[in-house]
Amino acid sequence: MIPEWLIEKDNYVPKEEKNLYIEKSIFSLIKIVSIIRQNKSKDKLVYSINPTLKLITTILNIVFISISRNFIYLSILDIYALGNLLLMEKTSRKRILIKSLVFPFITLIALIPSMFYGNIYNSLVLFQKIMTTILLMNLLSHNTKWSEISKSLKLIFIPDIFIWIMDITIKYIVLLGEHSINLLYALKLRSVGITSNKYNSLTGIMGNMFIKSYKMSEEMYHAMECRCFVGEYTKKVDFTLKKYDYIYIIINILLISLFIYSN
Amino acid sequence: MIKLENISFTYKNKLALDNVNVHIKEGESVAIIGPNGSGKSTFLKLLNTIIFPNQGKYIFNKTEINENRLKDNKYLKLFHKRLGFVFQNSDAQLFCSTVFEEVAFGLMQMELPEAEVNERVQDCLNLLNIDKLKEEHPYNLSGGEKKRVAIASVLAMNPEVITLDEPMNGIDPKGKRFLRDLLIALNKSGKTIICATHDFEYIEGIFNRVIVFSEEHKIIRDDKYENVIKDEDFLREYNII
Repeated sequence: MIPEWLIEKDNYVPKEEKNLYIEKSIFSLIKIVSIIRQNKSKDKLVYSINPTLKLITTILNIVFISISRNFIYLSILDIYALGNLLLMEKTSRKRILIKSLVFPFITLIALIPSMFYGNIYNSLVLFQKIMTTILLMNLLSHNTKWSEISKSLKLIFIPDIFIWIMDITIKYIVLLGEHSINLLYALKLRSVGITSNKYNSLTGIMGNMFIKSYKMSEEMYHAMECRCFVGEYTKKVDFTLKKYDYIYIIINILLISLFIYSN
Repeated sequence: MIKLENISFTYKNKLALDNVNVHIKEGESVAIIGPNGSGKSTFLKLLNTIIFPNQGKYIFNKTEINENRLKDNKYLKLFHKRLGFVFQNSDAQLFCSTVFEEVAFGLMQMELPEAEVNERVQDCLNLLNIDKLKEEHPYNLSGGEKKRVAIASVLAMNPEVITLDEPMNGIDPKGKRFLRDLLIALNKSGKTIICATHDFEYIEGIFNRVIVFSEEHKIIRDDKYENVIKDEDFLREYNII
């Protein structure tokens, strides 16, 4: 029954090959999935503020930042964003700060020629605007659950069906991401020699993912039909405020007043 | 052959393996049992270096296996060649466009002569009774057929140790009996078998040893298969039957 070669041990010596593409692919996928799946229901104050409130104030602040040309207002917004950053978890704090500094600095380098021609004030204002905007967006995405953010979109008159599509998309990024991580692990475990065409195996995985996502969407469609889904989807948004939410509202009203006063 | 010393693994601040000590000798056939979430799959992932322990030593054939050791690409490949892993979900293991290519994948990488590749693939397809499927796309197959293809693709590389994660899941009774006979034959031919399982009805005669994990992610018993399987009170107490 068992063939002869399977009973004997192979005398196999693999050849040297620099081959990190599987590891790199696994690492980048794990990074994406872990960002979506990270635990955002921590004990710290900034995580417990009403998500709808956070979304609305973040959008308003970003709009006002983009309109304003007042350096003092922008500096105060900067301090406010950095203050929020200090309230975050230690690990997220470092990650957000690095992300929020890289792009403004690149912009600043690109603006150096303009600064030589005397356009210093505008260049610094631009640098500040970019930094604060990225900081505020990163803070929102790190201290608010994705599902809460999408739910809160209802308050800014985004249709329910759009919110639902967004929810499903995020959920399936995680599910398909995890499936592709497993496929890459399987590829890694069976990569025992020289891979003549590295991209061939990756295209196999991509094809597999496409079929998997098609099957999953079809299964979900049938499951929804079985649960009487006829195309209407209503989502309720929770807008009960706590003590800290009121403090948050007061701070933001002050910031908006400052914008009106300074511009 | 495989030695785990004081191994602990934590995932997202949750303990998945707690102070695991195991010594598996060449040619053994070991069942890993325990309730859901007890750490069986984590244990197999750790053996296959998909994950690395936070604490403790993993020794394979007198060599300590850790991230640094596996940075040596040559050793990494040899290690994966010697230790095969059949995933719980076969969908996550099949990525080639035909069954033949899937089984030949590892062999092509080993740069074996074409005639030998063909011979080995054919033997594996015959051994798993899937010769008729060789030109089929793996994603078109049934659950049981996918499992057979996954096992064939691992066997083709002739590993010394075969690890299987819940191989009986989603297979019909005839398929389970077939798999049981196959595992017995492979073990008799000298392969070391390590298998996480829940299915006690169809594993009779495969294993000579059982390692039992508790809900606390610890090994609570490491004994002969007959002794554990006859101890109904113990199995009931630890939520295994």
